[in-house]
Amino acid sequence: MSTTETEVDEEAAVEPDVVREAVARAFADELGDAYIEHHIANGRDLWIRIDRSAWVAAATFAKTRLGMVWIDFVSAIDWLPSPFGRDMEAEQDWVVHGRDEAEAEVQQTGVAGGDTRFQMLLRLFSPDENMGVTIKADLPDDDLSIDSLMPVFPGTNWHEREVWEMFGIHINDHPDLRALYLPSGFEGNPLRKDYPLVARRVKPWPGIVDVEAMPEPDEPEDASGEAAAAGSDSAEASSDDESGQDKAAALAARLAALKEKRG
Amino acid sequence: MGLVEAGKMPKSITKLLNISRKYSIWVYQWGLACCALEMGAAFGSPRYDVMRLGVIPFPASPRQADLVVISGTVTDKMVPAILRLYEQMPDPKYVISMGSCANCGGPYWDSYSVTKGVDQIIPVDVYVPGCPPRPEALLEGIVLLQEMIHNEDPAERWKGNDREPIVVGGGEIS
Repeated sequence: MSTTETEVDEEAAVEPDVVREAVARAFADELGDAYIEHHIANGRDLWIRIDRSAWVAAATFAKTRLGMVWIDFVSAIDWLPSPFGRDMEAEQDWVVHGRDEAEAEVQQTGVAGGDTRFQMLLRLFSPDENMGVTIKADLPDDDLSIDSLMPVFPGTNWHEREVWEMFGIHINDHPDLRALYLPSGFEGNPLRKDYPLVARRVKPWPGIVDVEAMPEPDEPEDASGEAAAAGSDSAEASSDDESGQDKAAALAARLAALKEKRG
Repeated sequence: MGLVEAGKMPKSITKLLNISRKYSIWVYQWGLACCALEMGAAFGSPRYDVMRLGVIPFPASPRQADLVVISGTVTDKMVPAILRLYEQMPDPKYVISMGSCANCGGPYWDSYSVTKGVDQIIPVDVYVPGCPPRPEALLEGIVLLQEMIHNEDPAERWKGNDREPIVVGGGEIS
């Protein structure tokens, strides 16, 4: 049994989470080859990655044998880095936040790993044990489909409809697979990373259009005896204000230069 | 009312009619998001008490309403319902668009699901900017609308001529 611990954090070094490790082992014994790997956040949470063929079997096992009777959500995730990058951001915003040219274009996946662009997520919870598990399953790009969990948890009906319309992942044997949130006639799967924000194509984000300078700090001459008695505290505070004001002034100057440059 | 529509009413009677309409606005609440809470405060609480302005926020159906306040995020899926609501209201009818979302899409302007302003589907008389606007801003919008009704020529209105919308607190519509 492999434990995904690319980075051993301090908590893990302190004390092994025997309960969650036992749960992970139970899943491994039950699912056999379909079980791939798991990740434990000590004392907090457990992730298990399985093959999608065991999707319903894992849910059934968790419900009937582990007391995980409460379904939190069924969802999916698209790990593709955005093909649009940050090209729709406004020039003004680069001044404020800086421009990150070296955008990470590498596909990353979360804990317990992953091999494909799309992953299904199932979160189950046991109210008796106060413990939950997130079950993940990879979906190959050429066959985006997974079995319905409705025979085990009827409450997953709408969750699966949402996954279907938002990601375009087909749910096998779902009795009522039609759009839940999107208006009829909507084309595309809006939660896919390659779904463009059409509004930004039509009208680019204008960015910050006005930057206000910080308000003037109180003049020390105006301060009454009490404030003077406060001494170093007020002096410190005023120096903070000044640095903030300097920043705002510098920002305003850079924006003005930018505006001049563009004519 | 045929005389009113034809514009053949004496001016003084038109004035009287306008004053009557102005102080008996039945307003339908169409709360869609957080603005609905500010609208609730303005319409439902004794602190702001909209009924002192002669505005009654209790129509049982849009068919009894003179004014509708669209407050909150209008989504594409909500559009047919709003159109139906507007078409059910009897003339003369007025629309207040409350909050950034109803005005132009607000912070969700680039979302795949949000309509870029309710004025794309129905005509708006008063825009109340803010995110969300204070109840006072909504009340000012209502007072400005009452002023507009007071000076209105019903004949012009029923001819369907476009009228200039009001923006609370000034500002331009681009």
